[in-house]
Amino acid sequence: MKKIIPLVLTSLLTGNAFAADSAQPTLNVYTYSSFVSDWGPGPKIKTAFEKSCECTLNFIAEEDGVSILNRLKIEGTKAKADVILGLDHALMREAKKTGLMQAHTQSFKQLKPSLNWNDESFVPYDFGYFAFIYDSSKIATPVSSLKELVNSDASVIYQDPRTSTPGQGLMFWMNAVYGNKTKTAWAQLASHTVTVTKGWYEGYSMFLKGGADYVLSYTTSPAYHLIAESEGKYKAAQFAEGHIAQVEVAAALNTSKQPALAQSFLRFLISNEAQQILPVTNWMLPVVKDIQLDAAFDTLIKPDAIDMDIEQLSTDRKSMIKVWRSSAVK
Amino acid sequence: MRSEVVHRYLLLTLTGKPLTKISNITGLLFILLICTVTLLAFYGLIAFSGQGADLDLLTDSYFHSILIFSIKQALLSALISTLLGWPIARALYYLPKLYFKRTFLSLTLLCFVLPTLVLITGFVSLLGSNGFLTPLMGEEWSLYGLHGIILAHVYLNLPFAIRAFYGQLQNIPNTSWILARQLKFSPWQKLSIIEWPALRANYALTFGFIFILCFNSFAVVLALGGGPQSTTLEVAIYQALKYDFNIGEALTLAWSQLLIAGCFFILLYRSNSIAWLNKDSHLGQWQSTQSAMSKIILCAIYIATFSFMLAPLIALIPGVFAANYSVAVLMSIGEALALTLLLGFSCAILAMIIAYWIMQPIRHTLLKQQTSLHIIYQWLANHSLIAPAMVLSVGLYILFLPIMDLDSYGMTFVVILNVLMVIPFAIQQIRARLIQFDRDYGMLSSSLKLGFWQRFSIEWHYAKSILVSTFSLVLLLAMGDVAIFSIFGSDQLKTLPWLIYQYASSYRINEASLASAILLSIYAFLLLKLERAKNNA
Repeated sequence: MKKIIPLVLTSLLTGNAFAADSAQPTLNVYTYSSFVSDWGPGPKIKTAFEKSCECTLNFIAEEDGVSILNRLKIEGTKAKADVILGLDHALMREAKKTGLMQAHTQSFKQLKPSLNWNDESFVPYDFGYFAFIYDSSKIATPVSSLKELVNSDASVIYQDPRTSTPGQGLMFWMNAVYGNKTKTAWAQLASHTVTVTKGWYEGYSMFLKGGADYVLSYTTSPAYHLIAESEGKYKAAQFAEGHIAQVEVAAALNTSKQPALAQSFLRFLISNEAQQILPVTNWMLPVVKDIQLDAAFDTLIKPDAIDMDIEQLSTDRKSMIKVWRSSAVK
Repeated sequence: MRSEVVHRYLLLTLTGKPLTKISNITGLLFILLICTVTLLAFYGLIAFSGQGADLDLLTDSYFHSILIFSIKQALLSALISTLLGWPIARALYYLPKLYFKRTFLSLTLLCFVLPTLVLITGFVSLLGSNGFLTPLMGEEWSLYGLHGIILAHVYLNLPFAIRAFYGQLQNIPNTSWILARQLKFSPWQKLSIIEWPALRANYALTFGFIFILCFNSFAVVLALGGGPQSTTLEVAIYQALKYDFNIGEALTLAWSQLLIAGCFFILLYRSNSIAWLNKDSHLGQWQSTQSAMSKIILCAIYIATFSFMLAPLIALIPGVFAANYSVAVLMSIGEALALTLLLGFSCAILAMIIAYWIMQPIRHTLLKQQTSLHIIYQWLANHSLIAPAMVLSVGLYILFLPIMDLDSYGMTFVVILNVLMVIPFAIQQIRARLIQFDRDYGMLSSSLKLGFWQRFSIEWHYAKSILVSTFSLVLLLAMGDVAIFSIFGSDQLKTLPWLIYQYASSYRINEASLASAILLSIYAFLLLKLERAKNNA
């Protein structure tokens, strides 16, 4: 305890306490805070990358993916980062508008063909499908489609589309399934919604305490419970209409002082080594094909992806939110 | 005639002392500093967006519904808190020998400063869908919605109201009661002629203060709101700034919030501050005797309130036992706790020093009877109470991010903004006592021609107990911050509330409960120390 105070004081006064070795180049990466937590992918990715790159990898954590984008908007060309990691594909258009994205030099041969990825600036590093999670010890026959969930009276927790990416995902989902009947669908859902939470964790922790029958989360959540807690009762409900995917992406900035290093980091992200680390630390699916995963991942549902026209969704987002906030009222 | 001359002469000598002058100027400089920070924040936002507020929003019906909801929930919360506070304060006042009275009063302080994260977890454990008490609430009960928000707000602010009213009741002089007994007042007459006038002065004040706190409330509304119908201005600002990055809209919302809270604010600062942290007077009070029946009722009220305040805290305990007690987890919690304490103490010390210094020019204007200047200084010194915290944080972030390396120096901003946020609370508490000192001893100390330090040491002894209590209050308030840290903090150094938030955001709910329980115990420990120090002062 006594050593901590001088350490903290020194770091407060002199700035970055973990200053890089000046001989080696430093690669600055903006990412979100749960990525760099002690139990997240950050530390392992850092160790693995630094083994071969002769550099220092420096993660700079923002609160979440949207904060990364906001920071870029504020800093503009003065951005400190060489790489940004942690936006989701729905934010790609906004990010490109900043004019800071650097075209990458990666080939996507090893990516899963189902992803159909051909963006010139962004490299995906993991992805997941949104799904409703339920407790299989309490519910023997889960709902099998989004329409069935909406029309049932099962209690549901989901996240606010204005402040959370899963919530936004649900909004896209509802619009994809219901089209111009989304208004009534939201009202129907609201009649048996327990609450709408600000972020993923508030909703999920409520669910874990028995707060609802279904909670909006990812198809990979049951894998966490299986691997970390040896608990097999949480399962994802597979919907007949298909699921909305969330792809997490990284990109290099054209203001970077080490473009080659940035590109080699992007290449590292889609290498087998990184793709083995990410599923069990970030709890998302790998983007590269033929990655050996823990057996728990085989028990997960394999949903069909709904086609998403990202450009259209980005444009329609504001009006979709307006519909939601007036019709999802209880 | 002569006394007037003496009076004037004394005033001149008071103002003539050079050190007093310097401390006045320093106080004014601090006030200027606080205002500059707010102005910089707004400048940052306006300069970045290149435009001012988006005035189209004012005609949008969504904006109107947010406005109505914000005012409604704040009004109801303040009303219920103050209405319920009264009978409970009476219970405390009329039954001087209640068991655990000191603990009860410490608990009221704890409830006021409780980090909202901890509060919400407790409430959900208690009254959520699977809560312990939910079966008692009937079929239609749901914690989420307007009533959930009001419940949480009442929990946070009722203790404040209780203490404020209790303090006021204790100020009723013994002579009033003696007279009442001689005149054989009926209970109703005692209430209307003695009690109510004592409370009336502060009722509007307490109401206004709680209204402002609830109006600016953010975390509670987001967590317990339950849907888009429960959006307040602060929540809308958060959404506009963070997710849409629509600065024009955020500015409109911020100005509206400032305007409305500002009106209530003026109500607040035209009169005296609420003395709610004062020492319990253990002086032998002449109590009017209560009938056995009313004693039982008062006792029941006391017990009910005590249970109400304890319940969410107790509901947290089961979560603690389920946590993973690995060494790594305990070490991270330990480090985070150390940093939180360090930051908290730095903020508290700075805030107390600045608050005391700001009081100098304010007291000075009171002595020279410059009432309008007095009101202006007070208003400026305390305005950060109504400024939306989100706007200040983001505005400064936008302004300073291109200029300096915030990743390394972000902590400085965390400290500065936390200090700014708690200064109004500090001033609020110490004001009455310091002004009282001027009234009691001002003339005497100037006629004795006391030096600055001599005067200060006497002041210190006079005001020590309130200064110690206020220090604890601002310490706990600063320790509980998450919002400012989320914008300026870096990941290298985590505070305990931020660590709790991180655990919870990545499936580790039990570790989050463990960390919350530890935070809570530290709070309780600091508070008990405070009460002891205050009563021994």
